[in-house]
Amino acid sequence: MTEAPLLEIDALRANVAGNEILTGLNLTIRPGEVHAIMGPNGSGKSTLANTLMGNPRYEVTGGEVRFLGQALDGMAPDERARRGLFLAFQYPVAVPGVTVVNFLRQAVNAVRGEEVPVREFRQELFQKMELLKVDRDFARRYLNDGFSGGEKKRAEMLQLAMLQPRMAVLDETDSGLDIDALRTVADGVNALMHENMGLLLITHYQRLLNYIKPQFVHVLIDGRIVRSGGPELAEELEESGYDTIEAAASTA
Amino acid sequence: MTSAPSTPASLLTPEASRALGEALGDGAAVAALRAKGAGTLDALAMPSPALDRPWKYVDPAALDLDGFAPPGTAPSISVEGQAAEGLTVASFEEAGGNALERVGEAVAVDGDRLTALHYAFLSGGVLIETKANAEIAEPVRLTREYSEAGTLATPHTLIVAGVNSRLTVIEEYRSGDEPIAVLPAVELLVGPGAVVSYTSLHRWGARTRVFAEQRAVTERDADVRSLSLVTGGRLVKSHITSSLEGRGSSSEMYGITVGGGQEHVDFYTLQDHVAEDTRSDLLFKSALGEQSRAVYYGLTKVGLGARRADANQENRNLLLSRSAKADSDPVLEILTNDVTRVSHGATAGPVDEEELFYIQSRGLTREGAVGLLVRGFLGEPLDRSALREGVRDELSGLVEAKLTALGSGA
Ligand SMILES: Nc1ncnc2c1ncn2[C@@H]1O[C@H](COP(=O)(O)OP(=O)(O)O)[C@@H](O)[C@H]1O
Ligand SMILES: [Mg+2]
Repeated sequence: MTEAPLLEIDALRANVAGNEILTGLNLTIRPGEVHAIMGPNGSGKSTLANTLMGNPRYEVTGGEVRFLGQALDGMAPDERARRGLFLAFQYPVAVPGVTVVNFLRQAVNAVRGEEVPVREFRQELFQKMELLKVDRDFARRYLNDGFSGGEKKRAEMLQLAMLQPRMAVLDETDSGLDIDALRTVADGVNALMHENMGLLLITHYQRLLNYIKPQFVHVLIDGRIVRSGGPELAEELEESGYDTIEAAASTA
Repeated sequence: MTSAPSTPASLLTPEASRALGEALGDGAAVAALRAKGAGTLDALAMPSPALDRPWKYVDPAALDLDGFAPPGTAPSISVEGQAAEGLTVASFEEAGGNALERVGEAVAVDGDRLTALHYAFLSGGVLIETKANAEIAEPVRLTREYSEAGTLATPHTLIVAGVNSRLTVIEEYRSGDEPIAVLPAVELLVGPGAVVSYTSLHRWGARTRVFAEQRAVTERDADVRSLSLVTGGRLVKSHITSSLEGRGSSSEMYGITVGGGQEHVDFYTLQDHVAEDTRSDLLFKSALGEQSRAVYYGLTKVGLGARRADANQENRNLLLSRSAKADSDPVLEILTNDVTRVSHGATAGPVDEEELFYIQSRGLTREGAVGLLVRGFLGEPLDRSALREGVRDELSGLVEAKLTALGSGA
């Protein structure tokens, strides 16, 4: 594959609240690729996701991230989004008073850089809602306000579907979903994925990877990738757990 | 303040009250009300921050009524939407004697010196009354406007809703840039099974000081819903009470303040559960820019007889500038242990950084994200007020205009 990478993460270090959480992380994702990052709780998965999206609470202390060839350092989160980066949050924030439909309309206009006509927008929204099997009255509710865990994850997927990013990072989208919901969400993501898009699945469990198949699996421990491989690595992890790999990594 | 000399509280005397009546010549019934107010004037003291809870956060002296005089002419009131079967909208003068019997039932004449002043200088009283079972589709709309410098205005709105009737009232207050003092009173007497929605728009000028008293009394199974929107005024002190006296009756109270400049808005609310099976809900929100200040002090009272009461009280404040300030003080007073639910909550702080990041991560600029958050924040009480679409749009337009005026200085 000679295509230019979508995302290049090069020896990335990042601090949260003064503690170094990412300790030199490398990862390259090209168009059409699905990658999975697996790691135990606290290993830095969400820190990576937030750092990629430019959360100001996460401080980059070393290394570099390039997206579509452009260094992200110092770039505001909204500009990253407008360039085609998307993060599905592990814990989406409630925005009381702002309906899903209103929020999506503003986000779509911002990311596409033009006012999408209302009729067109609605048509597209209903189509995407059908794809993700969410009720129409969902659109009238305040975003994430009083949503169940599963509803929040679906709302994130609806945003993904509407914003059509080049690169999507899904942070534990599988947690809080029952098996039917997981299947629906996975089908939706598979339908949205295309050859120019990159996908990074962040998960604690192998379960999601039965439905969205990654070509590359990476194990994250203590803020860096300690092993990379194909889908078989996920199965190995499922059987032997993180401890074995962790032990092997620390003696390596 | 050129038109208001500094000494004379003496301008608001019983003699001045009589003189106002003679100048206006608005009939015996109104004169009798004024006389009642004037008669108690000297005996009543101003409320005090130390003794009167609703004044905990602002001294009534801040209203600075000294030097204000009653106006020489009747105030300007415009009324829309009065022609409907079963509906009466009339000035107190037109309504006359018998129809005014219930004036003072909710807002007592002898409450304190301020209510006595209100009655002593009463002008611009309006009665809105529905007959039993009347369903008034169109909102009744009152617009009251004040512009004469140095005057004390005392509008009074008496709403009497007959058995099982439906009524929506929107009252808009406006004033110019001159110093003006206004003591409005609003009485809502909600009959059995009646449903009343009352919205007041406080669009006061930058040098207007206000003490507004609004009190609803509900009979059996009645429902009252109110919304107060404040977008201006030097000092706006407002007391809003729902007295749930009828079994199964309910109250919803909403409040929205958009503050800027030196504005100071102080709400005292009372959800007074007297009867059994009563419900109340309250949501007051303020977004405060520049050096503005908001106070919310609210009491939920569940009396001994108010078994199975269900009450909720929530006050949220968003500080849009470092110099803005909010005090929030919700209080519960529960005398029965048989309640369905009694809850309250209060917050005050700047826009949440995690919320901003979330919205920005969807492509909106920081400024756009702040705007969306603030509008959503203030939109919630507006949504819950369930006003018809045109009215809702008008109100959100007022909010929008004020937020735009705050601009980046917010
Ligand atoms: N906002 C924060 N403040 C302080 N510590 C944090 C914060 N966010 C994450 N951490 C710490 O960083 C480490 C990695 O957290 P995180 O990236 O959320 O892990 P994961 O997503 O892999 O479970 C943990 O030790 C966690 O306690
Ligand atoms: Mg995480």
